[in-house]
Amino acid sequence: MTRQPRTFVVFAFPSVHDTLAAEDALKRSGVPATTIPTPHELGELCGIAIRVEPGHASAAEEALVRGGAPASARAEITDL
Amino acid sequence: MTDAPRACVYLDHAATSWPKPPEVIDAVVAAMREQGANPGRGAYAMALAASRVVFEARRVCADLLGVPDSRDLFFTSGCTEACNLMLKGLLSPGDRVVVSSMEHNAVSRPLHALQQLGVRVDVVSADATGTMDAADVERAVRLAPTRAVVCQHASNVTGAIQPIADIADIAHENGALLLVDGAQGGGHLDVDLATLSVDAYALSGHKGMLGPQGVGLLYLRPGLEARELTQGGTGGGSSEDDAQPAGRPERYEAGTPNTPGIAGLGAGGRLLAANGAEWRAEEQRVFRILKAGLLELPGVRVYGPALDAPTVPVTCITHDSLEPDRIAFLLDRQAGVAVRSGLHCAPWAHRTIGTLGTGAVRLSVGHSTTETDVRIALAALAEVLG
Repeated sequence: MTRQPRTFVVFAFPSVHDTLAAEDALKRSGVPATTIPTPHELGELCGIAIRVEPGHASAAEEALVRGGAPASARAEITDL
Repeated sequence: MTDAPRACVYLDHAATSWPKPPEVIDAVVAAMREQGANPGRGAYAMALAASRVVFEARRVCADLLGVPDSRDLFFTSGCTEACNLMLKGLLSPGDRVVVSSMEHNAVSRPLHALQQLGVRVDVVSADATGTMDAADVERAVRLAPTRAVVCQHASNVTGAIQPIADIADIAHENGALLLVDGAQGGGHLDVDLATLSVDAYALSGHKGMLGPQGVGLLYLRPGLEARELTQGGTGGGSSEDDAQPAGRPERYEAGTPNTPGIAGLGAGGRLLAANGAEWRAEEQRVFRILKAGLLELPGVRVYGPALDAPTVPVTCITHDSLEPDRIAFLLDRQAGVAVRSGLHCAPWAHRTIGTLGTGAVRLSVGHSTTETDVRIALAALAEVLG
């Protein structure tokens, strides 16, 4: 089976602590998300970021603001 | 008489709590066995698991200590490092500090080092029980512009609890910071940092907080930044930047953290959140039995607040004829009662209460101490003192 490249929305945060707080906020809001190494599209080569399906991006942003963990950057990436 | 370890009545909780609760030990082991990767660095499953352990432990401790934003709480190697960061990070040559005479070497030695660099250190004496009078602090603060008041929350020698909330008001009314060594407060007192209005508060993770040795905490109120003592890797973004990140908590946590220690501290914090009030009440009940018994022993002088006064469960004693080191040795070897003699790394405190020349025997109670323990200790002491 060959995996097809897909588009995702990725959010970055000021620190690892903030990323984990964001992960927690999304979990509490029931927004599916995956924590990944920060992709180069976000301008960082270290740390962690959060990836969501494009269809969940708006809900994720709302949950992050509501949870007191707003993203500092957003990018779209193509991933498997 | 041998040095072999054996079951004992452990009355040295002011040094470190023992035995550690099984939940703490399990958390330490799990952190090494199952979450052994570096936290805050990689994004593979085990690294994220380790990161979440640290994140959750910080949140648990923040909730326990009344810190609204857990980013304001930093993990350190212990209360000594936290005190060093608090003092060396916030004080500069030309600053004046007003400090209590009951401080531990974790405070007095960094202040001595700062004094060599041009910080003026003015000491305010506590009374014979080791308790500070807020009015004395106010008089000292008003004598000259003051950058900070430095005061412990509770004494590791006499158990005296300092009037921190009053001292915070005095400091702030006079434009000064209040910096607190809370080594003996965490776990033994219901510490609510938001209510206490402190600017910085250093904590031990392994005493009343029940974690393993090698971990501590520093709280810095929002908006108050210290010079970090250590620069280095923090795992997060901007690794290419030569400057230390400004964000909390990473700014103050360069290098690989002590994940097993932090995990254990988190487990201790969870236990205290669930049981702390009940455990503190029992600690106080048992401690008062101990102190009442000490007060009845012939030839024994008991230091610290009156029996019915607020105190953390720590006191110390001297005897008319038997030296403190002999008492501690005999208690251990004859009865397996573990207490500590000497100056308890607090020569200022012993000078204050008049025991700098002799030292004293310290007895301190914790979460695991039972009424039976203290009655065994009292009987053993009566026998040792003959």
